[in-house]
Amino acid sequence: MTLKTLNLNAFKPVWLLGLIPPVLFLLWWDHEAAKGGANALAFVSLAQVGQALIDMFSSGELALSYGSSLGRALSGLLIGGGIGTLVGIAMGLSKPVEWAASPIYNSFRQVPILGWLPLIGLWFGSGDLSKLIIVALSAFYPTVLYTFEGLKQVEARLLDVGRVYRLNGWQTFWRIQWPAALPSIFTGLFQALAFTWISTIGVELLFSSGAGLGAMMQQAQLQARLDIVLVCILFVGLTGFAINFLIKRLSQHVLSWRSVRA
Amino acid sequence: MDYVPHSQIPGHKVKQTGAVSLKGIKKQFNFKDRELKVLSEFSLDVQPGEFVSIVGPSGCGKSTLLRLIAGLDDTYDGTITLDGQRVAGTSLERGLVFQDHRLFPWMTLEDNIALALTNRQISKDAKAKLVADHIALVGLKGFEKAFPHQLSGGMAQRAAIARSLVNEPKVLLLDEPFGALDALTRVHLQGELQRIWLAQGSTMIMITHDVEEALYLGDRVVVMQANPGRITHTVDVNLPHPRDRASPVLHRLKDEILAELTNVPEAPNSVVRLIKGDDQ
Amino acid sequence: MKPDLKLILSVSSPLLLLIVWQAVTAFKLFPPEVLVSPTAVVAAFGEVIATGELQRHLSESLTRLAGGFTTGASLGLLFGLALALSKTVEQVFGPTFQALRQIPVLAFIPMLILLLGIDEVFKIVIIAKAAFFPVALAAYDSVKGVPKSYFEVSSLYRAPWWVLISKILIPATIPNILAGVRLSLTRSWLVLVAAELIVADSGLGQMMEMGRQMFRLDIVMVGVIVAGVIGFGLDRLFQLLQAHALRWKTA
Repeated sequence: MTLKTLNLNAFKPVWLLGLIPPVLFLLWWDHEAAKGGANALAFVSLAQVGQALIDMFSSGELALSYGSSLGRALSGLLIGGGIGTLVGIAMGLSKPVEWAASPIYNSFRQVPILGWLPLIGLWFGSGDLSKLIIVALSAFYPTVLYTFEGLKQVEARLLDVGRVYRLNGWQTFWRIQWPAALPSIFTGLFQALAFTWISTIGVELLFSSGAGLGAMMQQAQLQARLDIVLVCILFVGLTGFAINFLIKRLSQHVLSWRSVRA
Repeated sequence: MDYVPHSQIPGHKVKQTGAVSLKGIKKQFNFKDRELKVLSEFSLDVQPGEFVSIVGPSGCGKSTLLRLIAGLDDTYDGTITLDGQRVAGTSLERGLVFQDHRLFPWMTLEDNIALALTNRQISKDAKAKLVADHIALVGLKGFEKAFPHQLSGGMAQRAAIARSLVNEPKVLLLDEPFGALDALTRVHLQGELQRIWLAQGSTMIMITHDVEEALYLGDRVVVMQANPGRITHTVDVNLPHPRDRASPVLHRLKDEILAELTNVPEAPNSVVRLIKGDDQ
Repeated sequence: MKPDLKLILSVSSPLLLLIVWQAVTAFKLFPPEVLVSPTAVVAAFGEVIATGELQRHLSESLTRLAGGFTTGASLGLLFGLALALSKTVEQVFGPTFQALRQIPVLAFIPMLILLLGIDEVFKIVIIAKAAFFPVALAAYDSVKGVPKSYFEVSSLYRAPWWVLISKILIPATIPNILAGVRLSLTRSWLVLVAAELIVADSGLGQMMEMGRQMFRLDIVMVGVIVAGVIGFGLDRLFQLLQAHALRWKTA
């Protein structure tokens, strides 16, 4: 008796419990798919999904779509994050700029990001440029906010040190304000990275011409190819997971001296 | 006890510069409709090379006073001069040590100290030498590349002292420099500050709430009271440096000052009362 | 009196933007398919209100939002609490929850369309999913984050369980949970607009998409502005509720 309980405990690592819901779900899914008939249209068997994965992989389709989505997200991050950081710096360092820019920033920010798409589409067409603008915009908002907040929150006691040693404006910014705001700026960039990935998928779904995971999903949906859709979801999810993981690790690294008081 | 001016203490470098003079300083903060008098008719003359300690209860304006001398705050009435020159804004001639070390966490100790030399028009080599000398002066050799979070509180405060001295200021202002340290470290650093002062010889004005510290280090101890901040009493400490903490003179003076600080809310000038005993 | 630079700048900058916009259109620097004047947008506003089009789309959108958000947020709350309070639930569902959380909601749209069609059910489900995760996460994190010392204090004074819940657990967790609910409300609105843009049959998003396809820039702009105002209004409304619920916090 005791031996049995012991064995059970020894061979039942808790993480296995976490596999119960996905396994049950997959079994149910396959069962539905095997029923055939009307169900077969909606539910595809796991084997089919696997086959789709292999096909997409070997044809290079997946790599192409994935690469173009990732490229879009990263260039959006670079452009939107870069401009956002500059705007945030201007707003953080100059009160007049802050006063003039913040009502505009705050009112534009209220529009759900993908809500801009019809307008941007009218202006720049439904090609890559429009998509890039939206993705960059999604990176712009958080970087402005966090850069601005980071600079605003630089403590007066640190700035006093700069005054005592007669640092000029540029020296104060470069030696004190910028490094002090850096953790916040990075937080903004990390958030921007997560946002750009989401908005990349979003714009590709909406403007589904051209390459990209979102476009691929959307076209697969029109052809009722759930297997392809699922493969895309898998890769979107894995990338989201990788981004969050990366952010977690990087923040620990970047913010390591934040906890230490100056 | 005979008064031994520090200038006659052997080994103490005598400086001809660093005379600080405060005349009729008035400072008030304005809140919406009320005004709060922080300093009222504060006058003090500090000799070149002198060590003056200022003690007083919290809220007596002593930290504000230091900010005025440092030039961090220019809105006051009265005049502050250094060697006859009116003080305006901050200057590398006036060093300041804060209660918290305020080293920048993203710079090494060396870089933190070098920051103070950013706007000194001297060669790179001269700067490097000054930094190295002052790191050695405060006994932190070997920690040049350390980041502030790798230093203990006491070491960080030494680094802050080195940073404020690296410009060789005529006067060093210390705002409760050891207030945030534990008792043992504080005693140790008081000794170190005394050694540094003797070796380096600039004028020092130190704010503290620790009467013992004020007496141990100061040639003169200025006692302040609050509402509004003003000098109630000045004590000359006629003992040679370096001093013996156990000196009966220091203990007597400490009792006197403590009695004044704890017993007299509205002290008339220059009255030192003896401890009443029941009020302690 | 000293002129208030802050007030002047924060009022004049949006005003200046409007004036420049109006001036650019007045001088016909761009064709009307590219840029319409602010007054044309106002006129379009009047038009869609007079025809009842705006009200119809908006009420469609808001009904969906209400249904999806309420369902998603309340399920999320229950799930998050269960996840935090029961070790078994956490072990079984925790990993799945953490994995699904990583996938952007929008990525589920094509799958849900295939499985559920493009009817109301689909839209409610996608909004509910958007609302579910922030609330579940906030509930889970905040219950997990209640300091152990709080429980120790309550057991020290032999507080009964209902006191523990009403006096400790709820006050300690409600601020974060409400913050999660607020985030999920904003997310729901964003996803709703996106979903309506993708599967156009009705709603504010569809109004914009139709405007785009018919090159009616004025109507698209009305849509953008309304989407922004509604998003802002919802957030502000919730903020007020939040402040009301948390009066004790900074009082």
